[in-house]
Amino acid sequence: MLRTEGLGYWYQDKEQPLFQDINLEFEEGQSYAILGHSGTGKTTFLSLIAGLDKPREGDIFLNDRSLKQIGLTNYRRHDVAIVFQAYNLFNYMSPLNNLLTAMAITNASHAGDRGYAQRVLNDLGIGDDLITRNVQRLSGGQQQRVAIARTMCCDAKLVVADEPTGNLDEDNTKEVIDQFQRIAHEQGKCVIIVTHEPDVAARCDHQYRLENKQFVQLG
Amino acid sequence: MNFFKRAWLNVWAKKGRSVLLILVSSAILMFVLAGLLIRSAAVKATETAKTDAGATMTLSANRQAAFKKIQSSSSSSSSTSSRPKLTLTPVKLSDAKSIANLSNIKSYNVTSSTTANAKSYDTVSTSTGMGGNSSGGPGMKSTSSSSGDTQIDGVTSTALTTDFTDSQSKITKGRGIKASDKGTNNVVIEKELASQNNLTVGDTMTIKETTGSKSTLKVKVVGIYKASSTSSASAGPMSTDPANTIYASYTLANTIKGSKYAGTADSVTFNVTNPAKASATKKAGNKLISSKYSLSTDDSSYQSIKASMNNVEGFANKIVWLVAIAGTIILALIVILMIRERRFEIGVLLSLGEARWKIVAQFFTEMLMVIVIALAIAGVGGKFVGNQLGSQLVSQSTTTQTTSSSTSGQPGGSGQPGGSGSSGMHGGAGGPGSTTSSAKTKNPDLEIAVSAVDLAELGGFGLAITFLSIMIASGGILRLEPKKVLIS
Repeated sequence: MLRTEGLGYWYQDKEQPLFQDINLEFEEGQSYAILGHSGTGKTTFLSLIAGLDKPREGDIFLNDRSLKQIGLTNYRRHDVAIVFQAYNLFNYMSPLNNLLTAMAITNASHAGDRGYAQRVLNDLGIGDDLITRNVQRLSGGQQQRVAIARTMCCDAKLVVADEPTGNLDEDNTKEVIDQFQRIAHEQGKCVIIVTHEPDVAARCDHQYRLENKQFVQLG
Repeated sequence: MNFFKRAWLNVWAKKGRSVLLILVSSAILMFVLAGLLIRSAAVKATETAKTDAGATMTLSANRQAAFKKIQSSSSSSSSTSSRPKLTLTPVKLSDAKSIANLSNIKSYNVTSSTTANAKSYDTVSTSTGMGGNSSGGPGMKSTSSSSGDTQIDGVTSTALTTDFTDSQSKITKGRGIKASDKGTNNVVIEKELASQNNLTVGDTMTIKETTGSKSTLKVKVVGIYKASSTSSASAGPMSTDPANTIYASYTLANTIKGSKYAGTADSVTFNVTNPAKASATKKAGNKLISSKYSLSTDDSSYQSIKASMNNVEGFANKIVWLVAIAGTIILALIVILMIRERRFEIGVLLSLGEARWKIVAQFFTEMLMVIVIALAIAGVGGKFVGNQLGSQLVSQSTTTQTTSSSTSGQPGGSGQPGGSGSSGMHGGAGGPGSTTSSAKTKNPDLEIAVSAVDLAELGGFGLAITFLSIMIASGGILRLEPKKVLIS
């Protein structure tokens, strides 16, 4: 589904790239974990496959179409959903409106369907008493579940998450990872999670470690 | 069009911030509206001044041409011959009527002055005595140099004379002279003269001509007026006491002067409908008259009001633009700060694939909602601020105007005191019947009222300010890279 060819990135000095000549493939219905120490470039890699930045060299292909061809804005709108460590919800909206807004922007097939959004939220443990409450009044775990619900409501086949459990306790971490597994296995989406937690990575179908500017497959 | 909904949700959710923005915007728009109101009121006041202040055009004998004629004849004649005399041609009423037919002429007043002697009554005596020694009409070479003790001011209507329009004289009993008094012996006398002789409305009095057959005439008192100043000290040494001035129809004055004065006048004053076109009217009038006559315009009242209102209008314009520019800068700064505070939200929107112009449109819509409410508040408050500012401006402008008037005003009119005998004019064009402009020019009050046009103009300014503020601030949005915001 998603393929990188000769992907490389550096900030200022080409001679000191974060990673170089990365050739990876990610499939639908699978979950992937990318491990690595801080500063190794795993989040930068994620920003490239999420269409938030352009690679310095190489290219990314989605179903054999280059992101350059698709266009980054189009790609972000239709093909990829992102979950952030800091949740990054619209803080002046309720969980329900957060979902409806994302569905409207991405022209999702269920755009405008309040019932669908409500069901998705309910499935993730956000009850009816919470769905119209301002998101700032929800706990961290609840906010992250809303962020995950947002990715589930959109039609994007690729879900990327940057340290999604970084701010969560053990129980919430387990629950969030379960949700990602459901997204991969039940909705048939490709889930790529960047994490520094081996326990989280272990729950994914495939694990890669970014070290010495290269990705090493762990399992 | 999801950005409309987002804008509404944001404005509603962040009520405190929205209220503050509304207050700031209201204050800016209130001053813009005040400026707009003062400006439109000043324009309106200037328009009103055209009709209220008016302008006049006076047709009289061309003294300059007459003097030139004397000079040329004296240079050509021998030194032993008698000195040539100034001969002024009285204005023919037929010429005056042709000028009166011009489109910009509202009305006209014929003035013909002379003197007569009291026969059946006693004049108000003054210590200065009567020094005038001229009689007869303007421009006629007089053979007599006698002057009466009663000043006869022949007019078309007393209501059209400056003394009455400026309230220096007021009818206290009966009525003034009207156009319908033409051909009659009706007169209006001064209160002091009336009380001294126990005369009242309906009484008759007899006057005696000072020239020709020196016959007597019976005149009927139809009105009594009171002059604000009857002191003889203000008159020239050859003038009669102002209380001895009798208003009559110009036909009566001409009758007293003599039969050759029929159908003539000392001067004719035309009231111009639109003072702004006074000079054009004068130009058109000059084409209708010969060089023996001259036309002079007096639109000083209009010009002074116009100058004053132009000052107010200019100041109001400055207010509008200064506040608009300052408002744009203030709002732009607020929006820039607001956008900086919402970088994460913008980042999330970009990560969802939202178009940048739609994000800008969301901010614009939010500001638009604020501006609509601010417009309503400004619409109410602007009138109050405009009233306060407007009256302050007008009072300052009036003070400036009064100062400049007192230094540039001319004492008296263009008339001649007494008469030199040769001209045969008594008082000439400067007599009480002329409409020489008064130095007193009252600026019109500004009528501040909020109209639909003002609100529409304010709405335009509000929109422009909002649009510019958002455009200035949106540079940040357009440059924002989601990766830098969302992934640290």
